[in-house]
Amino acid sequence: MLERRTRPRSTGMFLTLCAAMLMLAMLTQQPWAAGLRGQAKSVLEPLAAAMTTLSNRIDAMTSGFGDTAALRARNQQLSQQNAELQRQVAELQADGLDNAALRAALDFQRSYGHATVAAEVVERGPDGFSSAVLIDRGSADGVRTGMIVVTGAGLVGRVVEVGQHAAMVETLADPRTRVNAFLSKSGLEGTVSGGPGMLAMDIDPRFGAAPGSGEFAITSGVGGGYPRGLVIGQLSAVDHQAAATLDHGSVLWVNDLASLSVVLVVTDFTGT
Amino acid sequence: MVVAALVQVTWAHHVALLGVVPNLVLVAAVAITWTHGQRAGLAAACLGGLLLDLESPGPLGPHAVGLLCAAYVVGLWARDVDPSRWLQPALATAVASGVYALVLVGIDDTLNLAVPPFDVALQLAWMTALYNAVLAVPAVPALRRTALEARA
Repeated sequence: MLERRTRPRSTGMFLTLCAAMLMLAMLTQQPWAAGLRGQAKSVLEPLAAAMTTLSNRIDAMTSGFGDTAALRARNQQLSQQNAELQRQVAELQADGLDNAALRAALDFQRSYGHATVAAEVVERGPDGFSSAVLIDRGSADGVRTGMIVVTGAGLVGRVVEVGQHAAMVETLADPRTRVNAFLSKSGLEGTVSGGPGMLAMDIDPRFGAAPGSGEFAITSGVGGGYPRGLVIGQLSAVDHQAAATLDHGSVLWVNDLASLSVVLVVTDFTGT
Repeated sequence: MVVAALVQVTWAHHVALLGVVPNLVLVAAVAITWTHGQRAGLAAACLGGLLLDLESPGPLGPHAVGLLCAAYVVGLWARDVDPSRWLQPALATAVASGVYALVLVGIDDTLNLAVPPFDVALQLAWMTALYNAVLAVPAVPALRRTALEARA
């Protein structure tokens, strides 16, 4: 009898809480709630930053024991250097294409110099379904919604929510992301789609040119969503069908969501 | 639940296996439901879910609804089994993880938020369920022991 009486109360509580949370979801999804949402989400940032620092310190202390620790640190350093070098190679390849076209057509000087703010990644998405990270810079540091986020290796994503001292960055692992890009050697243009594993690229074919594995996909600046010249990733496989209107490729993202620690927010470019 | 949520977003990726991160907040909500009853579990799930929503892009609420459904299922399960057996909480956690994933992806899709492709979501869901079930094996008895000591 007691058990039967408690069952409806628990079910009632469950239904009431679910209804309340669904209402909250519908309310906080509205455009006018974006600012409040950003402020609410930056409340936990100081605690998360402290825990990230503690976690990094513990990691550094415990990895001081044993040769594997030194090898791991050296490996990480070399990986970072490799990623930066790969980015430089990709940019040089792209510069080569650009210079040939510009010398033939216009007297034009291109320089890549953007104002940036360095930020640390303090939180990652709470589960495998989330592709966002939280950084420790917000509106007080000049960060705004829509700003592009990069690392030394290349493009990370875009700021989607901003609090005073923290911001949420939706990364290229988001399947809704679309970036217009071109390939560094062939010059073929296309669109890169985000995803949790490999990125996908739809490539516009052109007579006399063929995409090849190993080429870098670089933002083209078309559409105004991202500035030109940011490395996205490296083409790892291409599916070319003679009768198809598009070629399809897999792109290995230059960044790894699990190991992102320091990023740069480009503060003088806001994508459309 | 606050500690579980903070550890989830700052440290859990260090213990990822094959790219799968455990859901410590879900495991904590299941453990509380199993040891303290359904009402306590629902309250913990609501709080934990809101904390996870604060750490994700998009609106507040989807993770809370997912965890509430998971806690409700576990509450129903826990009523009809011997609570001292270790296998039951593990199985319940695995099922709760599946319910949580299904509800979360469904709500995110309805609200036009980012969702992974179906095959990726399925693989993530069952691997996470397995990982969470393994973590529940020591977590539930530990919480039960703590609750008994607190009552004593």
